[in-house]
Amino acid sequence: MANRKILVVDDERDMRIFVRTVVETSGFEATVASNGTEAIQKAGANPPALVILDVMMPEIDDGIQTYQHFRTDPVLSAIPIIILSAIARKTFLHSIKLLSPRHGIELPDPEAYMEKPPDAGELSRLIAKFSTSDQ
Amino acid sequence: MMDKSILLVDDEEGIRKVLSIALADLGYRVHTAANGVEALRVFKAKQPPIVLTDIKMPEMDGIELLRRLKEMSPETEIIMITGHGDMDLAIKSVKYEATDFVTKPINDEVLEIALNRAVERIAMRQKLKEYTQNLEQLVQEKSQQLVEAERLAAVGQTVAGLSHAIKNITGGLKGGAFVLEKGIELSDQKYLMQGWEMIKGNVDKITNLSLDLLNYAKTTDLNIQACDPCQPAQEVIDLMRPRAQELGIDLVSDFDPDIKDCHFDADLLCRCLLNMVSNAIDACRNNDPDGPGKTVTVRTRKRRGWGVEYQVLDNGCGMTAKTRKKLFQHFFSTKGSEGTGIGLMISKKIIDAHNGVIKVESKENAGSKFFIKLPKMPNG
Repeated sequence: MANRKILVVDDERDMRIFVRTVVETSGFEATVASNGTEAIQKAGANPPALVILDVMMPEIDDGIQTYQHFRTDPVLSAIPIIILSAIARKTFLHSIKLLSPRHGIELPDPEAYMEKPPDAGELSRLIAKFSTSDQ
Repeated sequence: MMDKSILLVDDEEGIRKVLSIALADLGYRVHTAANGVEALRVFKAKQPPIVLTDIKMPEMDGIELLRRLKEMSPETEIIMITGHGDMDLAIKSVKYEATDFVTKPINDEVLEIALNRAVERIAMRQKLKEYTQNLEQLVQEKSQQLVEAERLAAVGQTVAGLSHAIKNITGGLKGGAFVLEKGIELSDQKYLMQGWEMIKGNVDKITNLSLDLLNYAKTTDLNIQACDPCQPAQEVIDLMRPRAQELGIDLVSDFDPDIKDCHFDADLLCRCLLNMVSNAIDACRNNDPDGPGKTVTVRTRKRRGWGVEYQVLDNGCGMTAKTRKKLFQHFFSTKGSEGTGIGLMISKKIIDAHNGVIKVESKENAGSKFFIKLPKMPNG
């Protein structure tokens, strides 16, 4: 049976509730985490089909480190990631590029990037698009 | 066009006559004087740019005239007429800044060269003055533009910060509306409640934002009165104690009993302390609930040269160096959509208005210390 679990990572309660509602009403199961450590732990214990990740928690470092972890972890690296962020896409991608050489390999771009505040319809469409494959 | 008048000074009437004609031929308007005293009088009346004077005259000699003219009008070009063997006087006159000297009997060509040189110097000086003036004007204009640009940048930053704060709130409202809608659509009690809470929370935020902005705009008028500095600190503690208790945080006072009354605006100071204490409580709240007990301390201390120093200390999450730097900036907040970033900006404005000092010491994961120092009197 297809994995319908989606991990929602955001430090703001309102955003977690909103994204969780979008996830659930799109027909998926939501697990929430309010910081990077919690996200990695929950994903490790029960790998989701998709991660929706905020990159400002409350500083950019936590989000980017979490992203880095997901992308380099042998178990989690195949999970698609939707980035939700208050910063512009270009700035985020630039930060990722700057951080990549430290790990020797270039980090792939996220599957999707949405600037906050996210539009519910658009987010729902992206969720459906990236969680259809059987993980 | 340059004033082509000249003052000719010689005690010999014959020389005055001959030279007047020669000078008029060269295009000059000639004023004459027969001695130093007369020369000074004519000079004051006519203000000629060039003076041609004999060096040897009875009573006031040419050197003395030169000295006085230079004193009165340093930029006047003065050409000395010397006789043969007057070399000493000629050298002396150069020392007193004569432009040039011509020797008797006067050769028209030599005189013309000397005059042209004087005219050139005047023209050059004039140009230089214009350039300098233009330059000064340019510098002034550019500085003014710069100040204007900086002011606009500050306004821009403020507006950008404000729009960010509003965007956060509208984001929250939209999110709440979505969740609420889903609740209605699916008759889901959980969504209904959560959506409704989100909307209420964001309405509170926008209310607070507008109140903060209003307060920020109002804070310039100080109502200065003599007051015990510990009193506003106690008020803030009384006000915040229930909230601290609710969150399991110790809120303690540590007042210096020897502090004398100071002159300040107690209401506004209360607002600063309230802001700091509620920040400190937030910093403790966000920390690990299983960690050691959290304490917020409000201290008053006497400091030399100051009326009072307030300290608000916490052992909460602390701040990074980056955060510390941006702390008093407009609309800077680490609390995501929880904070508007106006609180400390208002506090700084209030303390600045009292000629006080506000500063922070903080270490990540080790808590923060905020200090406010107030003078005995805000105006010295």
